[in-house]
Amino acid sequence: MCIEIVDVTIKYVGRKAPALAHLTLSFKAGETVLLLGPSGCGKSTLALALNGLIPHSVGATMSGRVIVDGRDTQQTSVAELARKVGIVFQDPEAQFVTSRVEDEVAFGLENLCWAPSAMQTMIDDALNAVGMPNGHRREVYKLSGGEKQRVALAALLAMKPHVLVFDEPTANLDPAGTRDVFALIAELKAKRTHTIILIEHKLDELMHLIDRVVALGECGAILADGPPREVFDRHAATLREHGVWMPQVCLLAHALRERGVALDDFPVTLDEAATCLDKVTRRRGDRMNSNHYITLPPAHPVTSPNWRYAIAVRHLSCVRGGRKVLDDVSLAVAQGEFVAIVGANGAGKTTLALHLVGILPAPKGAVFIEGQDVNATSSRALVERVGYAFQNPEHQFITESVFDEVAYSLRAKGLPEGVVEAQTSAMLERFGLFRLARANPFTLSHGQKRRLSVATMLAAGQRTLILDEPTFGQDQHNAEALMRLLRDLHCEGRTVIIITHDMALVAEYAERVVVMNAGRLIFDGAPRDLFMQPALLREARLAPPPVARLAERVPALRGAITLDDAIGRLTMPCQATASALHC
Amino acid sequence: MMQAIYVEGDSFLHRLNPLSKVMAVLPVMVFVTLATDPWTPLAISTLNVIVLLVLGRIPPGRLFKILALLALLMLIFLIVYPLVVRRELVQHTPLLFALGPIQVYQGGLLFGVAIALRVFCLIALSLPFSLTTDSSDFIRALVQQWRLPYRVGYSAMAALRFVPMLQIELWVIQAAHRVRGVSDKGGLRAQYDRLKRYTVPLLATAIRQAERTALAMDGRAFGAFETRTYFKRMAFARRDVAFVLGFWLACGLIVLALARAGLLGPLVLVQRV
Repeated sequence: MCIEIVDVTIKYVGRKAPALAHLTLSFKAGETVLLLGPSGCGKSTLALALNGLIPHSVGATMSGRVIVDGRDTQQTSVAELARKVGIVFQDPEAQFVTSRVEDEVAFGLENLCWAPSAMQTMIDDALNAVGMPNGHRREVYKLSGGEKQRVALAALLAMKPHVLVFDEPTANLDPAGTRDVFALIAELKAKRTHTIILIEHKLDELMHLIDRVVALGECGAILADGPPREVFDRHAATLREHGVWMPQVCLLAHALRERGVALDDFPVTLDEAATCLDKVTRRRGDRMNSNHYITLPPAHPVTSPNWRYAIAVRHLSCVRGGRKVLDDVSLAVAQGEFVAIVGANGAGKTTLALHLVGILPAPKGAVFIEGQDVNATSSRALVERVGYAFQNPEHQFITESVFDEVAYSLRAKGLPEGVVEAQTSAMLERFGLFRLARANPFTLSHGQKRRLSVATMLAAGQRTLILDEPTFGQDQHNAEALMRLLRDLHCEGRTVIIITHDMALVAEYAERVVVMNAGRLIFDGAPRDLFMQPALLREARLAPPPVARLAERVPALRGAITLDDAIGRLTMPCQATASALHC
Repeated sequence: MMQAIYVEGDSFLHRLNPLSKVMAVLPVMVFVTLATDPWTPLAISTLNVIVLLVLGRIPPGRLFKILALLALLMLIFLIVYPLVVRRELVQHTPLLFALGPIQVYQGGLLFGVAIALRVFCLIALSLPFSLTTDSSDFIRALVQQWRLPYRVGYSAMAALRFVPMLQIELWVIQAAHRVRGVSDKGGLRAQYDRLKRYTVPLLATAIRQAERTALAMDGRAFGAFETRTYFKRMAFARRDVAFVLGFWLACGLIVLALARAGLLGPLVLVQRV
């Protein structure tokens, strides 16, 4: 055994409930373990306990024992543990101490008092191992997100730990960066030199690397533990109940089984799913020929009689710091559309969106909200038309109670207090926050904060809602609940625009997707059409969602991009399934 | 990122030990502060510009922009100074012009020129350091050579990295509040309320970020031992000695030449006339 966790209970100072309660778990040397669980289940706490940061550095009390290589972490110095266990954290910015790559890699070696003469080769080796052999003198803040995580890993590898913990390493990265990090983990795994413990919820791209899955519930209670196939096959109901993310191919397999489609094997990876589904379709080859596939109608009628633009952008360009962040962007969003804006980091998505709410000033005649030039609209009038939910909900809280947050914009409108009270209560009821009306917004859970920020953005009766990464950092339950909420709002006729890196979300919910690349709008159309264009996706550094990738390889699935599509294709072969429009 | 003013490069000045840049400039700064004539700061500034261009390889356009901004500031000072200077100090010098109660004496103008030039020269003297020094190198040198405790030094280094992060954060929070319909107009009271509202989310972010950085540092054995080693050894090389001595010598020669020509005024902090 490489790591043994025996009856560990960890409680943070100032918290009533423990973050982990009586957890007993062990990791074998050389295995690659995926650690899953809803937010607040104690995954990150467990990670910190593995290299002794708990209890040595963090204000928390710990009982029970964590044993790494036969040494109890409570009785072992952080310095020694640093040579055994390394953690790559979620935020690449926050984990850097210095400003140059080689200094960053040297940092740990310096702390361990290595002789400067020995460091050069160790640094070279570490940078070689992460595929940045000539990166020494580069400045860390100029690296891409994926490169930053590479450097963070190199900084750990230099200290030669044999256990590596990745705590949501791709949470802050765009699709290209995510792919970069997964490729790195794959290389590491291929060397068979490390025990790898991975906390992650973008699962389909990495299932082929995983030997074992451990799913934690509240306070670190173990919900399931075993090989991926077993966990996702047998414990699916439990996982779903606790809001644990599962690979899309596993969800697909379960849905197919429920509908009576026999599968030889339970697939966990995209490869397995492709093979398995191929067999299924071949068995029914006579009926399931891809020629029988009927093209689905476009999800959204392109023109409608009472066409009205919620948002119109005309030839908008924007130069910041000598760089063209927006380059001649034109876009019209009709009232009631559900639009996703996608693209790599720095492609101009947020810049475009900030122009729509007047945060970044637009020139005259460039941006129109409900037919009115933003340039000539007062910010108050604008605020009442368009809501904008920032990525971090905390940024938008301006009062000291949940009730006042929602009431704020109603009071600003000058409504009588009775009306404010009634409308606010109705709003809180709808968003499941009524119970928390008196609470301070900062004390809410992550999912509640997000819901509150959406509620505040709709309180004044805004017809258009823009959300930046709405599901960022949320577990499956909260993410799904939020997206259902957005879909409801959309069905009421509101215009919803989301900025996201999650292509599964785009496929599932958006009627229309806009792709930004280097400040230019390079695609505007149905998600289905986007995911059929590999060259365009590559150019924009995006990747199709898991189901679309499966569809590339299974003829019968051609054109499917969501789970529902795929289920439909495989259960009702000759009928066009209901369109993606759920209203 | 750490300092907005840093100009990336690999010139002689860039390669110097940060401490030697400090040492070269400090005594000259003291001297310029004491000098009362306009010629000393002029001559030293000129030398300084040559050093920046030749040894620092600072793009002339960039340097000109910085100096022009500085000169503009000094010009404003120059216009204001003769108006606010105490009358009895300059009364005995010829009256240049009078506009009602505003009286500008020649002495006032000359004092203004001298002080403006001095301040200009002092700020310019800080440029060889600030334009060509990576602040983390400076902290490294302080820790390694001038015995700054390393825990303090590295905390300072991490803190420096926070500045741009917090700037961006503040901008986002301001934007987020504006979208809520918080007006950015209003009196002092409104300003104060607004600032108060920024502090909570800003502090929340800063603390979270600090915690993360601290964990990442501790996780790599920071502070595990009383001492640590350094991959990048900061030391004084021959070029450092050459630069410091050379700079002092050049300044010394300038002062000597000025004295010979009778242009050097008395050295005092507060001048009497």
